[in-house]
Amino acid sequence: MNMLEIENISKRFGDKSVIKDLSLSVPNNCIFGFVGQNGAGKTTTMKMILGLLSVDSGQIYVHGEKVEYGQNRTNQYCGYLPDVPEFYNFMNAKEYLKFCADITEMQPSESKARSEMLLELVGLDKEKHRIGGYSRGMKQRLGIAQALLNQPKLLICDEPTSALDPIGRKEILDILITAKSQTTVLFSTHILSDVDRISDRIALLHGGKVVFSGNKDDLRRRKPAVGFEVELENPGAVDAILRLHTHAKRLDTLRVVFDTATEEQMHQAISLLIQEKIPFRKVEKSEYTLESMFMEVVGK
Amino acid sequence: MKSLIAFSKKEALEWWRSGRLAILVVVFALFGIMNPAFAKLTPWLMESMSESLEKSGIVIKEIRVDALTSWEQFYKNIPIAMMVFILMVSGSFTTEIQKGTFILVLTKGLSRWKVYIAKTFGMLLVWTAAYWICFGITYIYNDFYWDNSVAAHPVLAAAFVYFFGVWLTVMVPVFSAILSNAIAVSIGTGSLVIISYVLGMLPKIKDNVPTFLMGSQSLLVRAGVPEDYYPAIAVTAILVLVSFGLGWVMFDRRRL
Amino acid sequence: MAEIQEYLPLIIPLIIVQFGLLLYTIYHIMTHKTYKKGTRTIWLIVVIVGMQFIGPILYFLLGRESE
Repeated sequence: MNMLEIENISKRFGDKSVIKDLSLSVPNNCIFGFVGQNGAGKTTTMKMILGLLSVDSGQIYVHGEKVEYGQNRTNQYCGYLPDVPEFYNFMNAKEYLKFCADITEMQPSESKARSEMLLELVGLDKEKHRIGGYSRGMKQRLGIAQALLNQPKLLICDEPTSALDPIGRKEILDILITAKSQTTVLFSTHILSDVDRISDRIALLHGGKVVFSGNKDDLRRRKPAVGFEVELENPGAVDAILRLHTHAKRLDTLRVVFDTATEEQMHQAISLLIQEKIPFRKVEKSEYTLESMFMEVVGK
Repeated sequence: MKSLIAFSKKEALEWWRSGRLAILVVVFALFGIMNPAFAKLTPWLMESMSESLEKSGIVIKEIRVDALTSWEQFYKNIPIAMMVFILMVSGSFTTEIQKGTFILVLTKGLSRWKVYIAKTFGMLLVWTAAYWICFGITYIYNDFYWDNSVAAHPVLAAAFVYFFGVWLTVMVPVFSAILSNAIAVSIGTGSLVIISYVLGMLPKIKDNVPTFLMGSQSLLVRAGVPEDYYPAIAVTAILVLVSFGLGWVMFDRRRL
Repeated sequence: MAEIQEYLPLIIPLIIVQFGLLLYTIYHIMTHKTYKKGTRTIWLIVVIVGMQFIGPILYFLLGRESE
């Protein structure tokens, strides 16, 4: 059984269609990266999984139970970390976790042990101040602690790293990797390197639809690396190369890509670059990366 | 049950640590003291002004002050205190919705109705405490300086005004379910008072509107009997129940 | 006012409560760095000028950073 099953959901805000017939399944015990640009509908989807937003059509099942808007029976399986978590600023971290444990009717002995363990995990065990004075990173870490408190089967993190500096990001990613042993993690992001670093499976969301979903390795296998990329010195050189090679495609202002090109053709292209004295920075055999796929999808 | 208590405890802690509780209690206590103080100082003030007033042709006879003077102040000031109270509680729901603190609590599986109950009853509790502290202080001073027996039904008359406040308090969650910030909620609640007041100008229903309860002072001077207020009490009671139910349902559907 | 003593039961609590409110508000202002609106100086002035109770109420409604 999959931990999360989304079947053909749609959502409109006014006359703007945000989610169009989206389907997705997240298997147990994996880190699932939910990738998409800002405004692709990641947060909307997550809020629907949590029953915070209604779906216009389709169904969502968490741990086999149907999610109902406004009700939160299925939320007992979920831990949620919003993109900007806000807590009761008049409490300190320990009090907040105690409060969270109490509203989930956790046994006092268990709640004490778990909150101590989690505060240590996120590095807030020595913190005595009230949450009001916390930095973004500290709030994010407390957010993970509260999300993991009642041992959720599904941990949903909305852009957990996007507001943080590199060190803060690494800390959060490491915590998520640790969490994987106990729970399924669904996290959204637009930072591709984060997905690459920790997730087993990914889904790519674009224009309210899942355009790719599956194993990270499947992705590479699905489309073996062919062709190569040339990065040039100036935009003028890009035009020059496009004139010479009809099957070359512009990737961005300084890069040209040769899809489905053989090794032979690469050598030809390089010699042509030298012949014509087109200034270039590098020629690189393409690898089918998350980024190239992302660009391909988004560029459509 | 445990989760309801936990959220109520959080509410209590917030009332306490945010200073809102202290402020409200102190302000209501202050009003309670100022009512008799004003009454007590009236003769003295008039005396000191009488000379200049005499010059301008106004002759002041001996001024009689008793418990009724103080009660009159009470009824004059309590709408202001009520306003302060509504302003203080108007953000109780909306700030949590704006900040997103509800989301974490609700996604943990806490039922919305528990949040609604804890918050609404918390407000009612504070309203009850603050109001009767104010009343109690005025009452004790009145007994100390004068005699409360000149006033008929002092407690009942005050209870009518208190009940009007209960209705306004339960309207705060209702407005919070449709409006986005504290100021809008205050304005919404305030406009309700105005609507009730305007409806009270229609001769046919003037004795039935909730704002009629605010005139319960007439009981003290025996210009009215408690029975006069029963229709308005009944209407307000129905409104309280309807508003409470409405708030419950609307908060369940509120998008966070 | 010969019979000042008669007024003492009113005046003493009034002073205590008002000063209590004033000091509490000033304490709150001084222990916070940021306010919803306004600055520390503005709030101190408002609270002291409107010390009867308007100042503190205004501060707690508009100035107090949600804690």
